Amino acid sequence: MTGSLLPLLVVVPLLGAALGALVPGRLARVLLVLAPVATTAGGVALLVEHAQTPVLAHGVGGFVPGIAIPLVSDTLTAVMITVTGLTTTACIAFALVTGEARLRFFPTLVMMLSAGVNGALLTGDVFNLFVFIEVMLLPSYALVAMTGTWRRLGIGRLFVVVNLVTSTILLVGIGLVYGVAGSVNMAVLSGVDADDPRFRLAVGVVLLALAVKAGVAPLHGWLPRAYPATSATVMALFSALHTKVAIYAIFRIHQTVLDGATSWMVPLLVLFGVTMLVGAYGSLGERMIRRSLAWQMIAGVGYILLGLAIGTQLGLAAGLFYMVHHILVMGSLLLSSGAVERAYLTHQFVGLSGLMRREPLLAVVVALAMMSLVGFPPSSGFFGKVGIARAAADLDGAWIWVVLGVLVVASIGTLLAMTRLWADVFWGPPLEESPSRGKGHTDLPPVDAETRMQTWSLAPAGALLLVSLAIFVVPGPLWELCLQAADGLLDVTAYVEAVTAP
Amino acid sequence: MTVLPITIGILVAGGVYLLCQPGLVRIVFGITLLSHGANLVLLASGVSAWRGEPLTGAGDPADAGDPLPMAFVLTAIVITLAVTVFMLALARLGHDDDTRHVPDTGEDHHA
Repeated sequence: MTGSLLPLLVVVPLLGAALGALVPGRLARVLLVLAPVATTAGGVALLVEHAQTPVLAHGVGGFVPGIAIPLVSDTLTAVMITVTGLTTTACIAFALVTGEARLRFFPTLVMMLSAGVNGALLTGDVFNLFVFIEVMLLPSYALVAMTGTWRRLGIGRLFVVVNLVTSTILLVGIGLVYGVAGSVNMAVLSGVDADDPRFRLAVGVVLLALAVKAGVAPLHGWLPRAYPATSATVMALFSALHTKVAIYAIFRIHQTVLDGATSWMVPLLVLFGVTMLVGAYGSLGERMIRRSLAWQMIAGVGYILLGLAIGTQLGLAAGLFYMVHHILVMGSLLLSSGAVERAYLTHQFVGLSGLMRREPLLAVVVALAMMSLVGFPPSSGFFGKVGIARAAADLDGAWIWVVLGVLVVASIGTLLAMTRLWADVFWGPPLEESPSRGKGHTDLPPVDAETRMQTWSLAPAGALLLVSLAIFVVPGPLWELCLQAADGLLDVTAYVEAVTAP
Repeated sequence: MTVLPITIGILVAGGVYLLCQPGLVRIVFGITLLSHGANLVLLASGVSAWRGEPLTGAGDPADAGDPLPMAFVLTAIVITLAVTVFMLALARLGHDDDTRHVPDTGEDHHA
């Protein structure tokens, strides 16, 4: 595999999107399934390739380095492409089950989203990062507007406005970077003196914009309001793609462009610690399944970026490991919630009860995924948290105890939130006896004693959970990949050489 | 060379003011102003001296303006235009959603 195949990861989904708009619906849905499968296959092929060559780079169109649009792939990119591709496949499988895939232009929009994500993960250029993030966001605006309850129209405004203003800030940051350094190529920028305060400020503006997109506290407010208003499928897609691409970009820019500046460690530790706590305890105020989960997404962002703040090889690897785990588990939980909504028409706690006896399989899947989120074995979350704790143990003096303390307190918050969700939704009287169902005309319709969800609507969530369980049983290979990716982030020589070599 | 910073300052101030107003149409206008400010920042980062056209053979390359920021601005304008159109559609479609009235989107909302 050579670097010249890298553009295919963007071109294939984009072509699929174009075809999907032209061909009949049934054929478009075939393309919709094939595109993320092809992406995942491409990601796996890259992973295999990076065992030998650490970095693959390609200047699109064969222009000389410095002028060409660079696409670069290293282990980090390959891991991200594989995991996002896998989760996208599961979400699309669920969209086929719920019939959302039949909505006009749904296949096109999702494939466009997928192309934007792959592009953002592959690009070696800050301006193209902006362009690909926009390619990713434009179909997302449409997806928010077409799925979910009617509230999405108001929420869609919030989502569009926040993301557009943030994109403008990102653009200003990129303009400042170009003004100071004379380039937007990350390989070239890694050679710029990172101690120049003007350069630091410019990169800081870029990172600020990415922090809003990632949902770092105190810039997270839009996320738990915007995401739950869409459908479960779209929320699972966004959860796996949007915030994670922003986090990936923060990792990449912080390590490559700022050379992993450790002088910011203390403010970053505080910021990400607060993110973990706010996210973990924010769930407690919510009375809907997916709103509750949206806050846990923010907590996850804190855990992942904590690895970056620690900044050692172990820290970066632990953050990346946690990111893989978080994408899988969050996808599983959100798709489970989608299965509940499909059968019982709501994800409000008040409209649901006693699902444990009614849906034993769902109860098993959700219980295991929740344990993964909290960090209990037997799931990937256990090793995710062990990794972060292990990396935190290398910090200086009192910071060990602060970080470990935050880790434990935040995990307890997640445990409390998940226990409450479990108690409200899975325990309690059988659903047909629930007092909230079927009384007034504004109430939810009553549920028959024999109503059950279709077993296969749980399959995508189950599949993602199985991957998470597999990571618990065999954590070695993924951990090795994360260490390899962390090495690539710490020593960017190979990256720079591959991009700048003629 | 003080024209550009002052213009950017006025555009951003106006944009932020409009963003803080109720009503999506005003917010759209605010975002438009803000993105014009951002585009001028991009231009200031590369072609601030209003140097010559960056065409080969048209003059000394040292005097030629940097074409890259112009390409940035062009891309940014296209993206902002597309999103502005989408937001104006949202402003029309969901115009009374703040008052919990179900807008007429052609669907049924029983769930």
